[in-house]
Amino acid sequence: MNDARRGFAPLPIFYAARNIGRSPLRLALTAGGGALVVFLVVGSMASVRALDRGVRASGTPGNVMLVGAGSEESVERSEIPASAPGVLAASIEGIRHEGGAQFISPELHVPLPLRREGDPAPEGNSRSLALVRGVEPAAFLVHPQARLAAGRLADAGADEIVVGRALAARLRIGDADVASSNEALPVVLIDERPHRVTGIIDAPGVAIDGEAWMPISDLLVLTKRQTISAAVVSLDGADIGDLEAFAARRSDLEIAAIDEPAYYAQLAQFFRPVQILIGVSALIVALGAMLGGLNALDAAFASRSREIAMLQVLGFSRGAVILSLVQESVLAVATGALPALLIARLALDGVGVRFSMGVFSLSVDATCVASGLGAGLLLGVVGSLPPAIRCMRTAIPIALKADLT
Amino acid sequence: MATVEPIIRCSSLEKHYERGGETVRVLEKLDLTITRGQFVALMGPSGSGKTTLLNLLAGIDRPTAGGLVVDGQDITTLSRAALAHWRARSVGYIFQLYHLVPVLTAYENVELPLYVHNISRRERHRRVCEALESVSISDRHAHYPSQLSGGQEQRVAIARAIVTQPSLLLADEPTGDLDRASAAGIMELLGRLHREHGQTIVMVTHDPATAVHAQRTVHLDKGRLVEPHGVAS
Repeated sequence: MNDARRGFAPLPIFYAARNIGRSPLRLALTAGGGALVVFLVVGSMASVRALDRGVRASGTPGNVMLVGAGSEESVERSEIPASAPGVLAASIEGIRHEGGAQFISPELHVPLPLRREGDPAPEGNSRSLALVRGVEPAAFLVHPQARLAAGRLADAGADEIVVGRALAARLRIGDADVASSNEALPVVLIDERPHRVTGIIDAPGVAIDGEAWMPISDLLVLTKRQTISAAVVSLDGADIGDLEAFAARRSDLEIAAIDEPAYYAQLAQFFRPVQILIGVSALIVALGAMLGGLNALDAAFASRSREIAMLQVLGFSRGAVILSLVQESVLAVATGALPALLIARLALDGVGVRFSMGVFSLSVDATCVASGLGAGLLLGVVGSLPPAIRCMRTAIPIALKADLT
Repeated sequence: MATVEPIIRCSSLEKHYERGGETVRVLEKLDLTITRGQFVALMGPSGSGKTTLLNLLAGIDRPTAGGLVVDGQDITTLSRAALAHWRARSVGYIFQLYHLVPVLTAYENVELPLYVHNISRRERHRRVCEALESVSISDRHAHYPSQLSGGQEQRVAIARAIVTQPSLLLADEPTGDLDRASAAGIMELLGRLHREHGQTIVMVTHDPATAVHAQRTVHLDKGRLVEPHGVAS
């Protein structure tokens, strides 16, 4: 017979597929390790991306924030006179307006303890903080990502708030709850003062999704403040240079103008170490799983050294045998990784993750799924290559006699 | 029928191992010629070099010195990959312990070596059926090795060795793990393959009762050929 292939002749894939069921315990360990790694990678990737996307997407191109001079890095520490937005509106042309409404949103950003009425109060020093934003209706003009999805806006002087979808989920408040009459509306305690929740804002993927909004006048009273945090302005004709010039001209206001997307991009940089920490934690667990896999596969392949030698006697090249062992490992990992991907998609997608004062909604998107698949594949390949190559080092005649006395 | 054309030619073949700083001479200056179509039994006491010689003939071990031409090919000069390619084409190997893959059926075990060859699925099926038929195990084609007796497993192993239609069939103690009745059946089968198909067979055995089925017996002792010059009987 002269038809032996000159090129690479792989072992049939069914050989690898059948072998994964050879040791149920090893399959369980490998699949479990694969599932753990994939779930962690998808989870950490979704968290990192949600955090990054949430912060970055919170800035709207064309928006400028007027904040207190010296507080350009944190709007929550910023203080500007409550009169500043009005002075600005009168002084600058080129601010966007529609139907007589100017796109200027005076805002007060305050992290405050917030919990559902009836929920147990946090013990000790722990506080369940949420970012409460005091706004006027113009906030919806300058933040087009936010849309009232259910209920109505909060009335001033009535101790009412609206909440972002992710915060609503955390508080177990649904659309139906805010469609009730005033008496039946859900109540939350902000700094231990009851407030009715009148509506839910949809702002998917941005920081607003985890915030509570209330009339700015109410928040000023609640916090006993006379200054606001910032004024957010949408420009149409003017540019940031005009606002910087205004800020310089009105030194009495002690304000600074910053580009809103740039502010949030800078904020994203602030969270970079946290994102790295999440990634490194996932990597360490993945490495642990990989080392465990290496150990299990080393023993598994060594116990089959005679069979592996036999395959070479049949004429299969070392490369073909190594490929088959790697296929076997990848298939074993896949038995855990694929269900883990599905579970991650079902369990994590849309889940709100509390971070600092914000809540970010996880999105298990194509990139997260691809990262999970890549991690599973890497675990299968890198975890099996060293033991497979080590197995090939034994000379065939010695391997054929393995375990024989 | 056997012809005078040599299929194996060993000239001054040597195999040494280094063990604990000492050189172990397993084969020494071995000259042996086996002609195409012969059924040869390699006999000798333990450690005489029988299996080492068989491994050299199969190209799964390399000689320390000397010449070795098998089926017209000087296999001492081949690379590892070329040797695997040559082995797939020219050699069928029967192991004492069968070495069937436990997770594959008898059919799939026999089919396995055909994946090295560039042949169609239909042709693979034809050859596997033919091989299983020739070892009288067709009715067990869907059985896994654990569902077969030792004799049946060895029949499957023989089918796997002959399915590629190799020039040379090498058998290492093929009846060493079988009861008397099964061993007799296997030897009858190898004898039939030799008689009916002119198959060249080199078989290692330490059992004279097994060796009588061979056409020629070659004795090894301490790595040397006892039969003068390895001349065909």
